[in-house]
Amino acid sequence: MNKIREIKNDLLNDSYFEIDHKSGFKIFVYPKENYSSAYAVFGTKYGSIDTCFRVEGNEEFTTVPEGIAHFLEHKLFESEELDAFARYAKTGASANAYTSFDKTCYLFQCSGNFEKSLEILLDFVSNPYFTEQTVQKEQGIIGQEIKMYQDEPGWESLFALLRAMYHNHPVRIDIAGTVESISHITAELLYECYETFYNPANMALAVVGNVTVEQVLEIADRMLKPKKSKKIERKFQIEPETVVEDTIVRNLAVSMPIFAIGYKEKITTPCRTLKETLESNILLDIIGGKTSNLYEEMLTDGLINTTFDIEYFEGFGYSAHIFNGESTEPEKVRERINKEIEKMKKQGIDKETFDRIKKKHYGGFIMNFNDIDSLANALIGGYFNGDGLYDQLEVLESITLHDINNRLNAINIENSSMSIIKQN
Amino acid sequence: MNPKSYCEIAKGVKLLCMNSDKFKTNFLSVDFYVPINEHFAALNVLSSLMGHTSKNYKTFSSFNAKIESLYGADFDTSIATAGEKVRFRFSVEMPDDRFSLDSNKISEDAVDFIINIISNPNCENKKIDEENTKREIKFTLENIEAEKNDKRAYALSRLRQLMCAGEPYGIDREKLEEDVKNLDSTKLYNAYKNLLETSTIIITACGSLSEDMLNAKFSAFVDTIDNRKTQTLENIYIEKADEIRYFTEEMDITQAKLVIGLRSGMTNAEDDYFAFRVMTDIFGGGPYSRLFLNVREKMSLCYYCGARLLRDKGIIFIQSGIEEENYQKALTEILNQLDIMKKGEFSDEDYNSSITALCDAFRGVGDSPASVCAFYNSQAFDKELVSGLEFAEKIRAVTREQVVECANRVTVDSVYLLKGEGKDNE
Repeated sequence: MNKIREIKNDLLNDSYFEIDHKSGFKIFVYPKENYSSAYAVFGTKYGSIDTCFRVEGNEEFTTVPEGIAHFLEHKLFESEELDAFARYAKTGASANAYTSFDKTCYLFQCSGNFEKSLEILLDFVSNPYFTEQTVQKEQGIIGQEIKMYQDEPGWESLFALLRAMYHNHPVRIDIAGTVESISHITAELLYECYETFYNPANMALAVVGNVTVEQVLEIADRMLKPKKSKKIERKFQIEPETVVEDTIVRNLAVSMPIFAIGYKEKITTPCRTLKETLESNILLDIIGGKTSNLYEEMLTDGLINTTFDIEYFEGFGYSAHIFNGESTEPEKVRERINKEIEKMKKQGIDKETFDRIKKKHYGGFIMNFNDIDSLANALIGGYFNGDGLYDQLEVLESITLHDINNRLNAINIENSSMSIIKQN
Repeated sequence: MNPKSYCEIAKGVKLLCMNSDKFKTNFLSVDFYVPINEHFAALNVLSSLMGHTSKNYKTFSSFNAKIESLYGADFDTSIATAGEKVRFRFSVEMPDDRFSLDSNKISEDAVDFIINIISNPNCENKKIDEENTKREIKFTLENIEAEKNDKRAYALSRLRQLMCAGEPYGIDREKLEEDVKNLDSTKLYNAYKNLLETSTIIITACGSLSEDMLNAKFSAFVDTIDNRKTQTLENIYIEKADEIRYFTEEMDITQAKLVIGLRSGMTNAEDDYFAFRVMTDIFGGGPYSRLFLNVREKMSLCYYCGARLLRDKGIIFIQSGIEEENYQKALTEILNQLDIMKKGEFSDEDYNSSITALCDAFRGVGDSPASVCAFYNSQAFDKELVSGLEFAEKIRAVTREQVVECANRVTVDSVYLLKGEGKDNE
């Protein structure tokens, strides 16, 4: 039997349904009244960082080539007969997929033929078909994808920073791997990864928009076959608190040096809570956001331009507060940020600033509830992290100035790295 | 929500307000349209400047604090070209009033803020503030230079400049840089005045914003501008390319970028637009297109290879990222696919896939205030507004024969290759 629970939010006057499907899969349905499109995403908690693992009961850990989760994403679109794109072409849905550090998601959006498109999604993700020949063909295409990213300075700057900060954690490797690493991928390895990570306990389906629970369940009941859930054990080497390198420089064709500065967080548990994540987002806005003194001063002094940005970067076993942008003097930018952090630690954060930024984040939360694609992806991401979609509002309300000051005091400027991408 | 036309609230000022209670936010864009002219460089600087400070909010932090107080509203200024037209835009998206934590109306505050910003740049004595001018010129120059960081965009921009060198649309980036360097606070002020006095103003809103409120506030704003006389806005269409021009440039890059510019044969924005749209989509639209299936899937030459139609110019751009040594192979195959389109040798399946996908996409355009506004905004200069559903119907009415006819009007104008430095020619 399917177990259905409605989750409501009075402020938004919205609700969605969380379903424990009889097949073992978790399903979310978020009907949006008067919307003309529907968006569905079927995801697995399996990304580029899952390079060493075993299924409970097995003795040996398996180590796989870097970039295999992404490779698998590409290959899953193929089947013995028509590939998934050719099948979607008959329904008109716009389909895609993506692989991140910790998940792989397959998605489509449509305004008509929803049932047929959902059937295709659930079918091709549930039925892998790989041969050595099709694996080889994909190596050329993904090789070009890897090379495309190598020409993108922002992307290169982030990965250079991650390599400078992390000794062992696989977040330091490129999501798509390297041309060399993907040359070791075989059909057999793809099947092994598929069998490990594509099982009900590790997956979820989210559908948002012009849909009903009944519509989704009618197809899910038919398409999703019960499969044995597996307990996956991921193996990560111990990651020291310190960074690998203080500064890393790479040469690329850029108009002005691009930098990323990351403050590696000392963590004792692999995952950040929703509260910690929101606190960090607020804190970063206070330190270097568009209303901060630091931002105003660095702009006025010509140290940065308006591309300057902040990001709290976190996932299983890694987290860092990141500042990035363009500057002819990145070392000076870093000095200023360090000084500002130390100054704030001494003086504390003022209440007015905190209240204003908190109000902004409240508004940001509301603004997320229009887009069916961001809602569907947030449902999946939240589920893999153990959070509900509406939890953010309550957690945000509970955050105090004291919490933010504590979070600030935990930043250790010694454990930081900087990457610089500049013209040769 | 099925508007038929923008409403003219003053001469050269058009308003479209679409009410819907299904969204959590409201969106408003205010666009000033002028031809690409001698003020273009100044407008680039102004767009950045007016998005950062104003007379009432002289610092970045006070300006942004105001936006944060509007519940983190998403405020933006931008400048873009639509053919030979410049679109100078102010936009804001904010949470709806029902989410306000006090008695303030977020929407009205946001509308007042945007009008305040438009009306009051940081200026005195017919000059924009000197310090602001200097800083924003620097940002703009950095921004122009930064185009080369994004190699795909850079290659496309280079092709655009080379192919359209004789048309205002083919703005030369080096000349633009020079023009920006030669600007001063007076020139910026003059460009600002010229923008207010000569532009066609298009205001588009979606959500719960009241049409009466917008009408009243913007009419009052327009009343403050003396000597308003709008300029004619016309795009240049070049029907045919005489011969193919080839360009190769070098940069320190890993992957070569191939960009091809085609003249579709369109002579104005309405000229068989829907048929050209379908033709371009079968040729290089989605993953069902000829280019995707052959250049990428069959030949494994690239990760992306696609074509899109620029309605405002009647130009089709094809973009791909390839190994440099595969340049000839990729180019030959892309042109071969164009030939197949001309000969009508694409399959019924190709044709049906494209019609189905385009219709599906257009039926779903109404699901966010910003996308609703963008959809109608792109039609602001058309004779009548067409809804997503009507758009889909017009797409469905396009026949195979029309597609082949359109393909036969296409000529190849320019082929551009951006390749790695110091390597031999192909």
